[in-house]
Amino acid sequence: MSSHREAPEISKDPVADGTDVYAFRSPANPGNVVLIANFIPLQKPDSGPNFFEFGDDVLYEIHVSNKGTAQADISYQFKFKTKVRNDRTFLYNTGPISDIDDETWNRPQSYTVKRVKGNDTTTLGSNLPCPPVNVGKRSTPDYAKLAGQAVHQLPRGRKVFAGQRADAFWVDLGSIFDLGALRPFNEAHLIPMGAMDGINSVQSFNVHTIAIEVPIDELTRDGSTPSDPLASNSTIGVWATASRRTSRVFNKKTGTYRDFGKWRQVSRLGNPLFNEVVVPMAEKDLWNSREPSGDRKYQKHVYEPELAGLLPVLYPGVFPNLAAYDKPRADLHAILLTGIPEGVVPGFQNYTGPVPSDMLRLNVAIPPSEKPNPLGLVGGDPAGFPNGRRLEDNVTTIEIRAVAGLTIPLVDPSFTPDDAAAAVEDGSEYTNSPLLGEFPYLGLPGGGYQTEPGTTQAS
Amino acid sequence: MSETSRRNVIAVAGAGAAVGAAALMGGGAASAASRPHRISAQEPLVAYVEDHRSDRVTLMIGDDEVVVRDRDLVTRLLAAMGGK
Repeated sequence: MSSHREAPEISKDPVADGTDVYAFRSPANPGNVVLIANFIPLQKPDSGPNFFEFGDDVLYEIHVSNKGTAQADISYQFKFKTKVRNDRTFLYNTGPISDIDDETWNRPQSYTVKRVKGNDTTTLGSNLPCPPVNVGKRSTPDYAKLAGQAVHQLPRGRKVFAGQRADAFWVDLGSIFDLGALRPFNEAHLIPMGAMDGINSVQSFNVHTIAIEVPIDELTRDGSTPSDPLASNSTIGVWATASRRTSRVFNKKTGTYRDFGKWRQVSRLGNPLFNEVVVPMAEKDLWNSREPSGDRKYQKHVYEPELAGLLPVLYPGVFPNLAAYDKPRADLHAILLTGIPEGVVPGFQNYTGPVPSDMLRLNVAIPPSEKPNPLGLVGGDPAGFPNGRRLEDNVTTIEIRAVAGLTIPLVDPSFTPDDAAAAVEDGSEYTNSPLLGEFPYLGLPGGGYQTEPGTTQAS
Repeated sequence: MSETSRRNVIAVAGAGAAVGAAALMGGGAASAASRPHRISAQEPLVAYVEDHRSDRVTLMIGDDEVVVRDRDLVTRLLAAMGGK
C-alpha cells in the first residue's frame, strides 16, 4: 500500500507506522496549505474494548523543506497525552459520548502542537482534545459533531485536527501483492486467470489522522505567497515522520513500558509507495530511520526500478518497449527525487534542487483545480500528484503507469510507451467513506457497531 | 558529545573520576566513592554497551542521552554480569 505496513520492523509497530502523506492548497481557503499525515493503518472499526489511539510515547512530525537542501526547515510536532478517568472499569466509555469533553469518555486523549523553525520552537496549541473513536450508534451517536469539535483554530488562521478518520487511500492489495496481479489484466498475466474488476482492500478501515492547515507564507523560504509557478520559491518539500525513544524498558511493578533516551526516527513517508515498492525489503527499515537529504544512496533503485523489470516478465509481450529500454529512468528520478524542473511540462515545475530526496513536492503558486482530475499532472491537472497530493488523487494508477513507461517521453522523446502503459491500473475504485468539502477533508471513520465485513459507514 | 547536556557531562565526568579512583584505592575507597555526588542524576537510568570490546557506554535518562568513553566502566559493567 501507500506505506501501510511497508517495512518489516515498522509493520510490528502500527502506532508509529505512517500510512499516507497529503499536501495541497486548501480548496476552501486557497491562501492556505493543508498538510495531512496518517498513522496506525488498517483499523478495523469494531476493535473494542481497546480502541485505536495515538501513542503517548511517539513523536509525530510533519516536515517542510523550502531551501532546496532537503533538510527540514519547518517542522510541526505533535505529542499526545492520554488519561483514564475511571480506573475501575474496563469500558472505553461509560455511557453515550455526546460532546468531546463528556466524562463518559473514559480514555480521553489530547495533544500539543509545536512549530519548529531553526532554533525557534513555538507552541501553537496545547491540551487540544482529540475526538473519541467511532465506537457505535449508542456510544458515539453523533460522530460528525464529535469530529467537528476536534477541529481547533490556531493563531494566524491555522487549523488542526488529530484523531480517527476513514482511510482515503484505495488499492487492490490482495491482487497486487499476489505476484503483481492486476485483476482487469488477469488474462495477460504470466499465471492467467479470468479478468475481473479490482477490489478496494482499504474501504472498510480507519486510520489516525494529523491534519494542519497553515497560511502559504508560513511555508515558503522567504515568507511570501508566490503567484508565479515558475519562481524558485514556489515549491516546498513535505514529508512526515514518527519517532520513538532509543530504549524501552518493561516495568514489572506497573505492567507498563518506560522509555529512555533521544527520539529516534522509525517511520518516514513522502511520496506514496516509495518505500513500499522502490526500496528493497532488507533496507526498508533503515530507510525509515534516515533523512530525505541522504536519499542519494537509494537513487539507483529509482533509476533502475525493480517493478519496471518485473512488468514485462509478469505480462509477457505486453510491455516490449519498456523491456527494451535500458537507460536510467530519469523521468522517475525527477518525479520522485528532485521534482520536475522547468521546461519539461509547459508552465509547470516543482523542482526543489539537485539533492535527491523522497519528498512530496508542492508548488504553492498553482491554485486548486475547480474540477480535480484524479490522475493529476499526467491527466492534465497540475494541482494534483505529483504536485503535492490530494485525497482524491489516484496515486496507484499514476505510479504504475509512470513505472510502465508513460512518463519516459517527458525526458526522452525518442521513447514510445507501450499501449498498455496508458491503460494499466489495478481496477479498484474509491469506495471509502465520502470525503468532506472542508477541513480536515478526510471522511468520517467507520463506526464499530455499524461495521460489517467489507463495508464502512459513518453512522 | 554533541548530544550531551551540560548536566550529564558533569555527572558523567564525576562518575568516570569515581571509577578511576575506586580502581586505584581498593574496595573500601570504592564504597566511599560510590556515594551519590550532589550533582548526580537522581532518576532511573539505562546503560547500553553496544560493543563489549569498545570503551563506549550509552547512558539514557529521560530524553537525554550521552555516550561515555570509559573502558574501565565498560569492563565493570560486563564483569557485573558475572560471565552470564
